[in-house]
Formats: sequence, C-alpha cells, structure tokens
Amino acid sequence: MSIKPTFDQAGRGLSRRSVVMGAAAAIASAAVLRGAQAQARTKLQFMYPVGVSGDINKLVAGMISKFNAAHPAIEVEAIYAGNYDNTEQKVITALGVGDPPSTWLPINSALQTFVGLDSLADVTAKAKADDIYQDFLPGFLETCISDGKLYGLPFQPSTPVLYLNRTAMKDAGIAKAPETWTELMEVAKALTIRDKGELKRWGLTIGGGWHDWVFECYCRQNALVPWTKDKVLFDDPAALDALEFWVKMEQAGVMPKASTWEGSANDFMAGRTAMLYHSTGSLTNLRKSSSFEVDVAFMPKNKTFGACQGGGPIMIAKKQSDAAVDASWTFARWMTSTEVQSQWGRDTGYLAVRKSAWETPEMQAYLKDVPQAKVALDQAAYAGAFLQVPGYHKVREFLKSALDRTLAGEIKPDAALKEANANSNREIQRLLRRRG
Amino acid sequence: MTSLQIQTIPSPAAPPMAEPARSALTALRRGWLHLLLVPLALLWLSPLLWILVTSLKARTEVFDPAAGFWPLALQWSNYPAALSVAPFGTYLVNSVMVTGGILIAQLVTITLAAYTFARLTFPGKNLLFTLFLLQIMFPIYATFLTNFVTVREFGILNSLPAMIVPFVASGYGTFMLRQAFRQVPTELADAARLDGCGHFGILWHVYLPLVKPTLIAFGIITVVTHWNDYMWPLLVTNSEGVRTLPIGLGLLAKSDSGADWTRLMAATVVVVSPLLLLFVIFQRRFVDSFMHAGLK
Repeated sequence: MSIKPTFDQAGRGLSRRSVVMGAAAAIASAAVLRGAQAQARTKLQFMYPVGVSGDINKLVAGMISKFNAAHPAIEVEAIYAGNYDNTEQKVITALGVGDPPSTWLPINSALQTFVGLDSLADVTAKAKADDIYQDFLPGFLETCISDGKLYGLPFQPSTPVLYLNRTAMKDAGIAKAPETWTELMEVAKALTIRDKGELKRWGLTIGGGWHDWVFECYCRQNALVPWTKDKVLFDDPAALDALEFWVKMEQAGVMPKASTWEGSANDFMAGRTAMLYHSTGSLTNLRKSSSFEVDVAFMPKNKTFGACQGGGPIMIAKKQSDAAVDASWTFARWMTSTEVQSQWGRDTGYLAVRKSAWETPEMQAYLKDVPQAKVALDQAAYAGAFLQVPGYHKVREFLKSALDRTLAGEIKPDAALKEANANSNREIQRLLRRRG
Repeated sequence: MTSLQIQTIPSPAAPPMAEPARSALTALRRGWLHLLLVPLALLWLSPLLWILVTSLKARTEVFDPAAGFWPLALQWSNYPAALSVAPFGTYLVNSVMVTGGILIAQLVTITLAAYTFARLTFPGKNLLFTLFLLQIMFPIYATFLTNFVTVREFGILNSLPAMIVPFVASGYGTFMLRQAFRQVPTELADAARLDGCGHFGILWHVYLPLVKPTLIAFGIITVVTHWNDYMWPLLVTNSEGVRTLPIGLGLLAKSDSGADWTRLMAATVVVVSPLLLLFVIFQRRFVDSFMHAGLK
C-alpha cells in the first residue's frame, strides 16, 4: 500500500514541470493539452467497465456517438476499462500521474476511495439547479452522497434478488416464493434433492465472490446498516444473527458451503440449484440461457425487507478546467436522462435511475413483457448503498474470509465477525490517519 | 541419442501396404507406445475440443445436463456475434505486432546480456547479475505504476510501443540463456577466436547455433505470456485502434452475470488459432531442434 506517497511524488514532478512550462494556471497539464488540441470541441474521456455482457460495449459506443452528434461543442471518447476493479485501477493510475479521465463509472462502493483521493467534482449546486433531486429515485441518488455533497450521478444500479426455478418449484408443489427467512429455509429444504446421500440439487445458492454484498442485504433485513462512513459494525448482534442463519442453512444441507459468482449462475442454469441470490444485472442472461421458467422475487425479509446496491454512478474529475467540468456534467446529465435511462434499463437489466424513465410507454410495455424486471425496482425502495467505507477492497476481503471460514466450519460465527470487524476498522483507521 | 534416431528415421520410410503381416507386427512393436500416448493426447486435446464444441452450441445447451455433448444444431452465428463486440481484426494485427516486437527485442537484449554475464569478466559483474535475477522476483503488478509513469514520460501512452517498451529486457531470459552459454565448451569459442572471430562473430557462429533449443523454449514462453497479457495493455491503451486480442476476450469473459460461454468460446477459437497454426507449421522445427541438441 505504498500507492499514496508515489502519487504525491508524481504530483510534485508534474507541478515542477508545469512551472517550467510557464503555464499560467496550474491546471492539469492534460487538460491544457486537451484544450490545445481541440479549440472548438471540449474533449472528454469516459472510462467504463463492462459488467453484464460484451454487448454493453456496443450499446455504450452507440450512446456516445448519439451524444456527440447532438452536442457539437463536446466530444466524448468512450474507453472500455475491463471490469469494475480494472476500471478503478486504470482511473487511480491516471489520477496518480495527475491526468485523470474527465468522467468514469466505478462501483458505488468506491465513493469514499475517490473522495479520499480528493478527485471528485462536487456537483451538488448543479444538481439542485436541475431536476435531479426531484426525479431520481432517492435510494439511488443516496449512493453518490457523502457529507451531504453529491459526487456524481447514479447510472447503472443493481441489487441482488432471489432467482427461482419455477419449473422445479411446480414439481415440488410450491406455488409461492418464500417471503421470510423461515419460509426460505422451508422452501430450500423442499427443493433440495439427494439420491442415496448424493446431492442432485441444492435448494439455495448464494452467489460466491459477492456473498459479502448479499450478506449486507441480510444485515439490512435485520434492520442493520453494517457500516458508517468511517467504521464497520460487523460485530453487531444483528449481523451475527444473519450469519448464524447462513450456518443453519448450510448445516441443514440445503446450501453449499461455498460457490463462485459465475459458477453459481451456471449452476442455476444447469438446474443444480433451485434458488439463487444473484444480481439483477444477470436477469437477461439467466432468462435467455435457462431451459426452464425463471422467476424473480424479493430477497426474503426477517425484521424488514432490505437490500443494498451494486452498480455504479458516473463520476466527474475535479482536476480539470471549469469548461471540462461543465461539459462532463452535460454528458453525465444526458446519460441519466429519461429517454436514455429507459432504453439502457431495457437493454441491460440495470435499473433505470429516474422515476420518469419507468413511466415511459416503452418501459411500461417492457414491464408487461418481463414482469420480473419490476421486482428489482420495487425492492430498490428498501435498498441503500453498499459498504461505502475507505479501503472497501480490503474490508470486503476481511468479511468474505470470515463468511467463508465460518461456513467451512473452521471458526465460530461470533469469533469470525469480531475478527473481521477489528481488522476492517484497523484498516479504515489507517487510511483515515493518512488522509487526515 | 541413438535410440532417438532409431525411432525417428524409419517412420517417414515405412511402407504402408507392403507385406501386411510383417508390417502389422512391426506396427504393434512400435505401436505399443501409442496405446499409451493416444489417450494422453486425447486428454490434452479435450479442452480444445470442448472450446470448439461449445462455440457452436446454443446458449441454453451449455449447462443443460439433458442436452448431449454435441450441439443440436451448429450455431455458426456465434462467431459473427462474438466478433461484432469489438474489432477483432485490428486487435489481431496489434497482438501480432506487440508480441513480435517484444520477442525480437528480447532476443537481441538477452543474447547480448547473457553472453556478457557468461563469458566476460568485469568489476561488479556478480552484483549486476544478482540485480537482473531480482527482476524475476518482482511480480509485474508491483512495477505497474512506475512503468506507467515512464511510458507516459516517453509520450507513448495509448500506442503500440507502450505495450512493448516495458518488456524489451528480460531477467528470466538472460538467466536462462546465460546458463545455456555456460554449457558450451570454452574451447569452441577459443578456436573461433584463433580463426579471427570477434565477440559478435563468436556469438553468431558458435554460441547461438548451439543454444537454439533454449532460444526456442524462451521464445515460446514469451510469446504465450505476452499474447495473453491483459492488464498492462488495458492500462496503457484507450483507443480501440491500438488494443490487443485479450481485451476483446475480456469483453465477453469479465462480466458480473457469468461469462457468455458460447460467444466467449467462439472468440477464443479465433484468438488461439494463430498460435496453434504457428505451432503446427513450425512443429517439426521445434521438435527437431530439441532433439538435435545432443551436445554436452
């Protein structure tokens, strides 16, 4: 973690050179260059990940050329940057040498990371002068807010939902999707198939790799948000109760000890698990690749319904000229406009961020055709941001390790969560001290 | 050495149909090894076969246990569908140029460096060689940021050279080749020197022909490594015009909702075919050079 000092050095080197060059204003040299190259058009970069399928690359390219055609003063260059982690790495590297892209699309959990790097333009005033606070779904907008300031516009939110193999349920004589944890356990038991002790089908699988995301949903279903912006609360009794429920399901033999994100989706499509916790972003793929009827339900509740959001917002770099920030805002605003969001939501399975986008006639027709898409929207009313703490990468690893070792039977739930809590908070404190 | 020749020499001359009884006997005598090798070869081929078969399936067939191993109907449309997500033709050309550029540059630098370390004496030689070896121990991710800064200072970000420059020297290759050079008897070099060769002459006429297998082995390793490199090209390029094949594959593989298997496999076939083709064409030369390196 020697990243930050290196950044500082790079920053110093850059400003030295800016002085030598005699640049009047100490703006990022890249912005200067960019401005010099195109006198007429403001050039922007947009770094984005491909989260759902390769077609997104084509969709984004199409959206960008549409935007460029409609805005003669702005030219956006779309830069595919891998998955969320790759994108973050690419952006942080560019920030490190003082030449950030104008806009990028990280996962919402990275908010505190970028706030910590002092890299984000504050767009609160711009948003207030617009209809952002009125028309955006509040739960989605929330994921871009830190200390009351808005840093970006939500663009492609998703939440975990419960996927159901309807055909398997019919065969087992189950008509209704489980609504509570207790029902979930019963349905999972009924759907698990063993033949002479050999497992044929799991009742339930929680998509591994992101199971910490699903776990936060379980915490929220116990009325606990397991973090604040400077600490985590994994040792809270509500979190312990959630993990104990997982252990109970594992011990009842209805759920595997571990799985992978892609593998669990494959298992569902192959009928090796009858229910699956996975992202709404997987809806199109699961529907199109399964040979049975796929349904979607709310994640079952305990004390309350609860969910938390994956997916990401479009963020705008602070370190660029005012003109570039304005142009970036125009771009982010266009990408989250009613028509674009309606189309984007229907094409990908991500949730449209504007209320008005859900009311467009095209979206209404789509929901009639694919009613499952509506479930995620309704559930979003109970959804908050996901683990927005500094150093969330490491914190996620601590938590995942605790969950894995508990389910594997290596450690008791309370000891595991206490340990993950202590490790995470030590890491967060370390980062905050360095920032301070 | 002798046993190898017995096996290799008769095979091209084996008469296919003459004297069936005797040839059956000889076939059996020579063939028992094949009984062992054929299943092994099939085992090695099975992933390739799976890739090919999956690339022709419909999406619902891939994970359906009720569907057979073979696709119900051949879905050739997977190929255009996979290739349409990115300009794979451009990516292919770029991949060839980047991998080829790295290979050529590395062969030059490691040959010179290895000769220096193997045969010359100068102060600080051991220290310098240790530093070379240290380079092997650093994972490439540890040097990403410094390399990125360097490449940016050169002003070659977002271009093909950005993907070549950080890899023109190779500690691993230098080490491998130095060891090979040291196996060559000094008498040969001395003889060449008496005949009037300088350093470059000795290197060209004596050392390089004798270490061909090492060069080829290193070549294979470096080509495979850089052909498949994903993260560094992703980091230093932005435009589609300068990107390489693995980035195109990443579009299909690195998604949250599970890989898009049929199209991913179709694209994989396209990506691995040039390497396979290259190997098939040069296979004899690869194998020969390993066999005829009997010098000790």
